[in-house]
Amino acid sequence: MTAAAIPAFDIGGKQETRARIPGNHGIWVGITCEFVEFLVLFTVYFVARAHFPGMFEEGAGRLSTIAGTVITLLMVTSSFFIACSVARIRAGRRRESLGWLIAALIVALGYPLAKYIEIRWNLAHGINGESGIFFTVYYYLTFTHLVHGFWGILGILWVLARHLAGGYTAEDHGGLEALASYWHATDIIWLIIFPLFYVLA
Amino acid sequence: MKTIETTRPAALFPLFLSWLGLVLLTLLSLWLAQRSGSAAWLQLPVAAIVWLKGWIVARYFIESHLAHPFIAVVVRVFILCVPVALILAAWLGDRFARLTTLSLQ
Repeated sequence: MTAAAIPAFDIGGKQETRARIPGNHGIWVGITCEFVEFLVLFTVYFVARAHFPGMFEEGAGRLSTIAGTVITLLMVTSSFFIACSVARIRAGRRRESLGWLIAALIVALGYPLAKYIEIRWNLAHGINGESGIFFTVYYYLTFTHLVHGFWGILGILWVLARHLAGGYTAEDHGGLEALASYWHATDIIWLIIFPLFYVLA
Repeated sequence: MKTIETTRPAALFPLFLSWLGLVLLTLLSLWLAQRSGSAAWLQLPVAAIVWLKGWIVARYFIESHLAHPFIAVVVRVFILCVPVALILAAWLGDRFARLTTLSLQ
């Protein structure tokens, strides 16, 4: 196939093929692995729930719905801010893009803080990893997600440092898009975790 | 060859609407859970809300519809798996438990 036969889009005077990679290849290998990892964990959740439906029904009612809701709002808001940062750098507004990214970092840091407060609340109410199968699965899944959240926060710090050093422009901001893709994927995973543990009581 | 008209958006308003949609859907799922308690039918709207929230993030934040077909498929399949599992677990939970048991009895 010749280059002329490849379907292309004209974006701002530049031709872009339909096979666009948001960010870079490497981040999508990582995101695909992340999805596979969580699919395995979700399978564990559904197997455990099928065997112990009563414990799952009772367990969700003992968790702090407020904590789950706060984490959800922090995740979707930081995801929104990072998307705004990408949109602004595309428009060539570097300072605005930086502002959105700093806002995303501040909100994202609320996630481990909220999780810490939630765990303290859990322990104060006698909920630990040995409180039953529901809580074992809950701790395993949410801690794994928290680890991915930490990686995302470290990514935000790295991209922020590069952004401050003038590393991204309207034409070249693949690193920022790669971070955004990872954070959005981590956001999607939390949006799936939230109803499994906090809503379906 | 026919091409699809599309651009990578730089406007913030569609992103704001997406964020608002995600917040409202989160609150809707909590409201439904409070009203219905542990009713079996709750699985259905919650599954729909999970899929819709995943679709919003994929469509407006990741822009998966503009991405390489492999990426679009990976994201689409991932956001569909748990909603489908929720519906199956609601109707076929016992059968699924039997299928996944390690006991020979």
